[in-house]
Amino acid sequence: MIVLSSVSKAFGQKKAVDKISFKTKGGEIIGFLGPNGAGKTTTMRLILGYLKPDEGKITVNHFDPIDNRIEVLKQIGYLPENNPLYLEMKVKEYLSFIAQAKNDDDWQKIAFEVGLAEVLTKKIEELSRGFKQRVGLAAALLGNPQILILDEPTSGLDPLEQEKIRSLIKKLGQKKTIIFSTHILSEAEAVANRLIIIYEGKIVYDGKKPKEKGGVEKLFKLKVKGK
Amino acid sequence: MKNLIKKELGHYLNNPLGYIVIVLFGVFANLFFVKDLFVIGSASLRPFFLLLPWFLLVFIPSITMRSFSEEKKNNTIEILLTLPYSETQIVLAKFFSVLMVFIIALSLTLSLPLSLIFLTKIYLPEIFVGYLGVLLLGASFSAISLFFSSQTKNQVVAFLSSVITLFFLLVLGGDFLASYLPKLFQEFFVPFSPLSHFQSFVKGILDFRSVFYFFSLTFLFLFLTVVEFEKRI
Repeated sequence: MIVLSSVSKAFGQKKAVDKISFKTKGGEIIGFLGPNGAGKTTTMRLILGYLKPDEGKITVNHFDPIDNRIEVLKQIGYLPENNPLYLEMKVKEYLSFIAQAKNDDDWQKIAFEVGLAEVLTKKIEELSRGFKQRVGLAAALLGNPQILILDEPTSGLDPLEQEKIRSLIKKLGQKKTIIFSTHILSEAEAVANRLIIIYEGKIVYDGKKPKEKGGVEKLFKLKVKGK
Repeated sequence: MKNLIKKELGHYLNNPLGYIVIVLFGVFANLFFVKDLFVIGSASLRPFFLLLPWFLLVFIPSITMRSFSEEKKNNTIEILLTLPYSETQIVLAKFFSVLMVFIIALSLTLSLPLSLIFLTKIYLPEIFVGYLGVLLLGASFSAISLFFSSQTKNQVVAFLSSVITLFFLLVLGGDFLASYLPKLFQEFFVPFSPLSHFQSFVKGILDFRSVFYFFSLTFLFLFLTVVEFEKRI
C-alpha cells in the first residue's frame, strides 16, 4: 500500500507537486493523468525515493522511501520515463543484471512472458522501440514486485505495440498494484480502474473511472481545462 | 555488489576503447623506462616510479570520466538508483572496477622489474613497496576522479576537472612550485600533496603515515561521492 500525505516538492521557485495526498489499495490499476509538466514523473520519483519531498510523508507498505530506500525498492518494479537502458548490453545480460540485483533467478521466464525470447542475444541498441519498451517492462517485472510504477509505458510505440503493452498491464493488474502515467486519455479509459488527475502539481480528481465511453476525456476536460 | 562490479567491468572490457587506453598506458610506461635504461644507463625502477604519477594524472581520469557522467547523461543513473542497492554499494562498485582496470594496466609494466632481474641485482622489497605506492596513489586518484565524474553529465568536464585537480595536488609536492612559495606555505601545503607521500614508497620506505594519507584521501572522496547521491535533490 502506498500512502502520500500532503507531499510537496519544488524545483527552485516552481512547485512540481503541491500538497498531494492519496492512498492505493491492492490490485488497483491507477491511471495517473495530467498534461506534460503536471507533476506525474515527480510524484513517481518521490514514491521511489529517487527524489526527496520538501514536505509531507510517503510510505510504501509502511516503509519510508528515504529512510528505508532498499526495502521500498524491493517491493516496486519501475519503468522510468523514456525508458533509459544500457544500450551496449545484450538483452540477456541486462535482464540477468537486474534479476541479480533483485534476487530473482528466473529472468528467462519473464523474458518469455513479455515476448523477448527472439532477441535475448541481441544488443539493446539494435532493438526496435517496441522491443526496448518490453525490455524495460521485463526489468520492472523482475523480482516479482507487488507494486509496478510505469511512467508512460506506451510512449512512442505504434498502435499495435501500444495495444500489446496495455493488455499486459491489464493482465498484471489482476495480481499487482499498478500506477501508470499517461497523457493518452483513451489508454487510461482502456486500462485503468481508478484515475488520479494531476494538474499544476495538484490532484484535481481521484476516483473511479467514468463508465460511459469518452467519459475520461470529458472528466479530464472538466478538471483540467474547466470545460 | 559483485553483480555491479561485473556490469562495470563489462563496460570497460567489452569496449575496444578500454583496451586501447590500457595498452597505451602500458606502451608509454614501458617506453619511458626503456629510454632511462638504455640511453641514460640507469638500471633502477625509481625513474619509472617517479614518472608514473604524471601518467596516472591523465590515465585515471580517462577511465573514470564516464563512470557517473555517462549514467547521468543517459539517465541510466535512474535505473541504478532505483535498484535495491545502497549508494555506498554503487560508488564502491564503480571504484573497485576502475581499480581493477588500473591493476590490469599496471600489470603490463611488470615486464620492467622482471627484465631488471636478469640484467642486474635488484632489491625486490623496494620494488614491492614501489608498486604498493603506485596502487595507493592510483586508488586515491580514482576516488578523486570518480567524485568529479559524479558532479557533471559532461565527460569532458569530468575529465578536465579531475586532471586540473590532480595536477594541482601533484605540483604542491613538487620542487618547482615549492621553490616559489614562502616557507610557511611550503610547510603547510607540501604534506597535502600525494607526490611527497609517494616519494617515500619510491625509495622503498613503507611509511605508515603515507599509507594512512592515501587511505584517508581515498576514503574522503568516496565519502563525498556517496553523499552526492544520498542528498538526492
